[in-house]
Amino acid sequence: MEYVIRTENLEKIYISKGKGLFRRKKREVHALKGIDFQVKKGEIFGLLGPNGAGKTTLIKILTTLLLPTSGRARVNGYDVIKEERKVRASIGCMLMGERGLYWKLTGRENLEYFGALYYVPKKRRRERIEYLIELLDLGDFIDRTVETYSSGQKMIVSFAKALINDAPTLFLDEPTIAMDVHAARKLREIVKDLNKQGKTIIYTTHLMHEADELCDRIAIIDKGEIKAIGTPAELKASIRQEGIVRIEGIIPQKALEALRSMGSVEKLAVEEKGGKEHLRIITANSRSALPEIIRVLVENESTLEYISPEEPTLEDVFVKLTGRTLSEDTREINEPEPDKSR
Amino acid sequence: MSLSRINPVNSLLLTLHVTKVRFRILSRYKGWFAFDFIFPIVFAALPILIGVSVAGGPGNAARAFKTNTGTSNYVIYLLIGSIVMMTVETSMWLVGYWLRWEREVGTIESIYLTPARRIQILTGVSLYSGMRSIFTFVGSYTFGCLLFGINPFQGEMLIAMLFLIAGLMPMWGIGFLYGAFILKVREAGSLINILGWGMAFLMGAYYPITVFPVTIQYLALAFPPTWMTNGIRSSLLHLSYFLGAWHWDLGVLVLYSIVMPLIGIWVFTAVEHRIKRNEGVGKF
Repeated sequence: MEYVIRTENLEKIYISKGKGLFRRKKREVHALKGIDFQVKKGEIFGLLGPNGAGKTTLIKILTTLLLPTSGRARVNGYDVIKEERKVRASIGCMLMGERGLYWKLTGRENLEYFGALYYVPKKRRRERIEYLIELLDLGDFIDRTVETYSSGQKMIVSFAKALINDAPTLFLDEPTIAMDVHAARKLREIVKDLNKQGKTIIYTTHLMHEADELCDRIAIIDKGEIKAIGTPAELKASIRQEGIVRIEGIIPQKALEALRSMGSVEKLAVEEKGGKEHLRIITANSRSALPEIIRVLVENESTLEYISPEEPTLEDVFVKLTGRTLSEDTREINEPEPDKSR
Repeated sequence: MSLSRINPVNSLLLTLHVTKVRFRILSRYKGWFAFDFIFPIVFAALPILIGVSVAGGPGNAARAFKTNTGTSNYVIYLLIGSIVMMTVETSMWLVGYWLRWEREVGTIESIYLTPARRIQILTGVSLYSGMRSIFTFVGSYTFGCLLFGINPFQGEMLIAMLFLIAGLMPMWGIGFLYGAFILKVREAGSLINILGWGMAFLMGAYYPITVFPVTIQYLALAFPPTWMTNGIRSSLLHLSYFLGAWHWDLGVLVLYSIVMPLIGIWVFTAVEHRIKRNEGVGKF
């Protein structure tokens, strides 16, 4: 078996100093704790994890932006510490979304510049840019300066930038994040085509359906550790014998607490949408647990609008492993905390 | 197999492409022309006009100026000081501030993800900075002289150009030191401003350094811009060189040209490695 990425006991500790003139205490954050995994040649490998789980740190180490505190990693056969230039020449990356472009240059000038920084010979660079313009349908805006682009246009040019050196391995970090549904679908199709051409793709996303659709294998990362790794089917099968119950309605806090204290409830994730609570409950056996769950909710003054047992999804795997939904975690980052002092 | 072909030709083309892209970006900021050409003249005009006012007329000003500096051509003297000061400032900012700028526009990590050697990119930025500085110097000097009604073609112009070119190279070294400092400290803008003005004070932009106490004079001589300013002035206005002959003064600048970039690159690389071991280059 040929592996494109191999890591051995990869650790990363961030050290920061406290503020103040005197006695500046050092603070250590253990971002990665002994990461071991391999990515096979030709697969689309997904990295799933909430913000702060360590997936960005892991990708930065694999792409040589960061040095690990300990452990080893090889990408395309090259050591990320000792052979960083060879690693970089052999990969294409889209890590910063729309922020990785020069806004005063046109899209074409950006691609030419990054092509030069990848040492792509001028003639091959020009041909490659023309090919990418056609492949990604950039013709309408490629000769305008990037400052005039929409977020989606910046993202697609950033994606083109990742393809400029036609590297065998691609690192794509949330590539569809600022795209509309149509553009995101198209990009996923292109990713699949690139994979069929033999490219290995490391793909991070917080969209479970995207991971499910694209990835051959997925690693779920939380708190610096790989919690599970496998194909989407394997991950879902790991909780298939258990039961998933989806409930929507107006559910007060005391009802949630009562549910959490039930022995048959393994994990409970709550999302608030449109003034209603959406619950996903993982139980040891949904058929036997459901009547008890309904009784507890009704006794605690819940108004139930929808109850349904469901097939497990990657989201359920994520909930079981981390105790929270991925969208819940994203919401925590995007929305300010309510003022609890009032 | 990627399309990357790392070889000397592509490395050279990469460096030239960096220079070209910097000029292209510059061309899209319409105010650069005013900043590069007009500001040095404005900075020179202030002391010229104050001097004339205080002395009671251009003739008196020339006589008084000659007593202290050895030349009555105070317009060119001050114009050179002002332009060199701005050139030094711009040169250090362009190289040193390059990283900060890339960080602000969000492209620093994109650059660090490519196999391009940092030294090749920095050389491209330095080349741009040098070309822009020479262009600025020649343009401002000629335009300033014409504005004040003075013949710009006087003195040893070729030697003055040698001093200008040799004086810019140590600036790149100092620029790399600035770059390392910015990489480490991040919000270093105000401190860099203070250091820039400190250097302008010591290099004798508007006066000969002989007006300083002896200890400060030695401190001033430790800075390459002091040698650069004096060399250009002496060659154009037939003033005395620090070491008696132009080639000795130029030799000192050449020495600085070798040592300062080496020190700058060494410090920059060390700081860069240290940062990669912790939080990474893109964070600010």
